[in-house]
Amino acid sequence: MIAQLLNGIALGSLYMVLSSGLAMIYGLRGVTNFAHGSLYMAGAYVAMSVSANVNFWVALLAAPLVLAIVGASLELIFFRSLQDRNHIEVGLVTFGLSMILERVIVLVWGEQTHTVSPPELLTGSMSILGASYPTYRIFLIVVALVMAAALVGWVQYTRTGLYVRAASRDVQAASVLGINVDRVSLIVVCVGGALAGLAGALAAPYISVSPTMGMQILITVLIVVVVGGAGSIGGAMVAGMALGVLQTMGNIWVPALAALIPFVALVVVLLWRPQGIAGKKA
Amino acid sequence: MALDLNPGQQAGTEIPGLPKATNSPRRTLLWVSIAAVVVLVLGLAVPLVLTNRYYMGLTLAAAILSFHALSVGFLAKHLGLISLGHTAFFGGAAYCVGIAMTHWGWSPLMAALFGLVAVTVAAVPMGALIMRSSGMVFLMLTLALGQALHTISIQPASRDITGAHDGLQLQAADGATFLGIDFYALLVPQSFWPLAWVMLVVVIYLLWLVGRSRFGSLLEGIRENEERMRFSGFGTFVPRVAAFTLSGAVAGLGGVLFALNAHYVSPELLSFLAAGDALVSAIVGGLGALLGPVLGAFIYTFSESFLNFGGNLQLFMGALLVIVLVFFRGGIAGIVGTLYGRSRRKRAQKTTTTTTARPAGPAEPAAPADSKEPGA
Repeated sequence: MIAQLLNGIALGSLYMVLSSGLAMIYGLRGVTNFAHGSLYMAGAYVAMSVSANVNFWVALLAAPLVLAIVGASLELIFFRSLQDRNHIEVGLVTFGLSMILERVIVLVWGEQTHTVSPPELLTGSMSILGASYPTYRIFLIVVALVMAAALVGWVQYTRTGLYVRAASRDVQAASVLGINVDRVSLIVVCVGGALAGLAGALAAPYISVSPTMGMQILITVLIVVVVGGAGSIGGAMVAGMALGVLQTMGNIWVPALAALIPFVALVVVLLWRPQGIAGKKA
Repeated sequence: MALDLNPGQQAGTEIPGLPKATNSPRRTLLWVSIAAVVVLVLGLAVPLVLTNRYYMGLTLAAAILSFHALSVGFLAKHLGLISLGHTAFFGGAAYCVGIAMTHWGWSPLMAALFGLVAVTVAAVPMGALIMRSSGMVFLMLTLALGQALHTISIQPASRDITGAHDGLQLQAADGATFLGIDFYALLVPQSFWPLAWVMLVVVIYLLWLVGRSRFGSLLEGIRENEERMRFSGFGTFVPRVAAFTLSGAVAGLGGVLFALNAHYVSPELLSFLAAGDALVSAIVGGLGALLGPVLGAFIYTFSESFLNFGGNLQLFMGALLVIVLVFFRGGIAGIVGTLYGRSRRKRAQKTTTTTTARPAGPAEPAAPADSKEPGA
């Protein structure tokens, strides 16, 4: 039981890290980044290669770094030049980009499913409240929670975070008041990409690395962001964790219906509160 | 002299008939109806010309994809809504046909009608639910609808009904026929083509009629400014749900045809990638024109067969989608429309320059045509 709850929290942590990046990009650019699943997948593959050639700890740093660069190019090439376009159109551009990226990843790393073994320090299991639980998953949860806390701290207590919040609320007013929205957006998309890379790297030893992993998680994470309230980082985190736990627990209680939980959650939340849990306005 | 005569004649015909003849709605209706009949008849001859079975199969696949793309394009054109979930209707209808035939032993015709009716009826409550939203939320809800059905179809628990990952192989009694075509002959593109083609032309014609009807204008009003429409005393919710249902029925018809032709339904029909196929077709073809999605479906299907070496289709399609969205916003139909408009304007320009009795040099019409462009 406790092990299952922890599994739910581990899955929820992944959703949390991924969806907070997606929500940040949505808040600032108004764009639903359909390429986010591919960024996560790219992170997992980069982590796989680096941990095979160097070691896992380097991979944990390299994946976010590489994906931050990918994020930066996404912002500089597409989001910035298309910022006057309809947001749905730009969203569809990212949909096309994700098709390209997924195929490129398959061309580079091949179609087979890979497994990544966690570093020696984190293999084995430890005892939590009487239940034995794999150490790596505990590590995953801890890293994800620390990242989430750091992100919240950054957004709430630093000047750049203040700019991010201001620009998310009203881009025009923020730029009138002298905030360089382009620069803030570049930072946000970089951070969002890095978070996706980190999530991918963390997921690599936990879930197997395969060409379908991006699409699978993308839909759930999109749902998380909408349920959490478009553009709200806190809402996305809460919704991500809740959905991860619900999905895992649902797997035990109602296995036939567990896979539908995200969709049901989406419909219920949007009908009951169309702006999402933490949304400001519809 | 000949040059002077021509414009004179044209001006002469235009002056007496104050409401220009070509703009009369009844005249347009007549011409389009005639054109539809001609296209319908000409299209029936395609299997005679296209004897290569492979290309015939591709043409048929494109026609079937056209229904799915048309249904997505209809909502985009008239309401500005992008759906990623019409797989629910396309694939759902195909599954209805499969289940009715395989599990209940229904005849192909009854199963086909059941698929179409079931999907259309299901589209009403779905529309009532989903049409409360718009923009990105609409996209998400439709995506969730399609994905939920996909998830249900692959559940081990539903293996007895949907066959889970294996899908369903359609089974019919010996000697079963569909509208006079032997059930097993439906597998042959040449014999299935007339059915698909007639349906496609009829659906396009009906959608065109809907688009120019009062209902169509109402939808376009809602697209431009829903609040203003409500303010002007129009109910907007019912038309929106009606449009959603209509587009669901079009996608459903495509799904029914797919199932009858392929004799096989699988979860891929409900997948995110199937939704992507239809959306990419519609966008590449052009969302602004009724025929855009059909054009896109044909381009998509044929390029799919030419570009699919080494499984790189996704790469090319992604690139095409990005290029069209970034540089050619109206899609291919938009490019054609722009070129046509330009040549027409140029011709109009030529007639005006000749009537003012200026010797029209080859380079001359270009300059005024350009300067007039923003005004026109």
